[in-house]
Amino acid sequence: MQPVNLFNLAAQQARWLSVRQSVIAGNVANVNTPGYVARDVEPFEAVLDDRHVSMKTTAPGHMSGNNTLVQDVSLREDDENPAILPSGNTVSLQTELVKSADVQRQFNINTAIVKAFHNMMSMATKE
Amino acid sequence: MDPLSTAMKVAASGLDAQSERLRVVSENMANAQSTGRVPGSDPYRRKTITFTAEVDRASGGAMVKVSNIGKDPGAFPVEFDPGNEAADADGYVKMPNVNMLVEMADMREANRSYEADLQVIKQARNLISMTIDLLRSGS
Repeated sequence: MQPVNLFNLAAQQARWLSVRQSVIAGNVANVNTPGYVARDVEPFEAVLDDRHVSMKTTAPGHMSGNNTLVQDVSLREDDENPAILPSGNTVSLQTELVKSADVQRQFNINTAIVKAFHNMMSMATKE
Repeated sequence: MDPLSTAMKVAASGLDAQSERLRVVSENMANAQSTGRVPGSDPYRRKTITFTAEVDRASGGAMVKVSNIGKDPGAFPVEFDPGNEAADADGYVKMPNVNMLVEMADMREANRSYEADLQVIKQARNLISMTIDLLRSGS
């Protein structure tokens, strides 16, 4: 039987969404910082396609490097905001709040699916 | 570090910065009429505040920090008020270089940014509780 890949996939997307939320938080916090360029994460498809090379642990003291989640998903400059203020800041508050609502919606779907699958699995295991 | 707690931390740094800004604005507004004590002396000089982005090393989040609280080098407007203790020999008093309209606009902007930061914190909390709710569904 094929192992159920869904939970892994859902966990990956949940992690990607929370990284995105933290990037949005950075943008919103720096909405009045001169010269700050708005950032965004790469799309989720790109994260999936990317085959990460993880560091080898050759001694017990080495850390795997896989738990630094924000570095795992690479960031890019957000080029969708056409408006640049005279101060050099490119953050648009509206866009960021829309993005944040989007994250919330996707997270909602994600947890709903996981919940549904979890219910199915417990249905199968009961009795 | 968990990205969602990073999000809350970063947004909280925004709250800190914006409230510092509100403090500076209120200082400026409160002192909009504060003249000097000695004849011919300088009145209250308007304060300015600037922010800078700082990457938090532990989490990689772009925190915001107050980089500098400076003084506005603008010229003081002069008013004719011979009765004031700061009036010079000709009866003119230097008034603070505070423009109420600018301060009001600044205050509104700080307010708006603060609200946006709060919104982000709320959403991050929502995401966390959605995740926790996964554990509750089993019953």
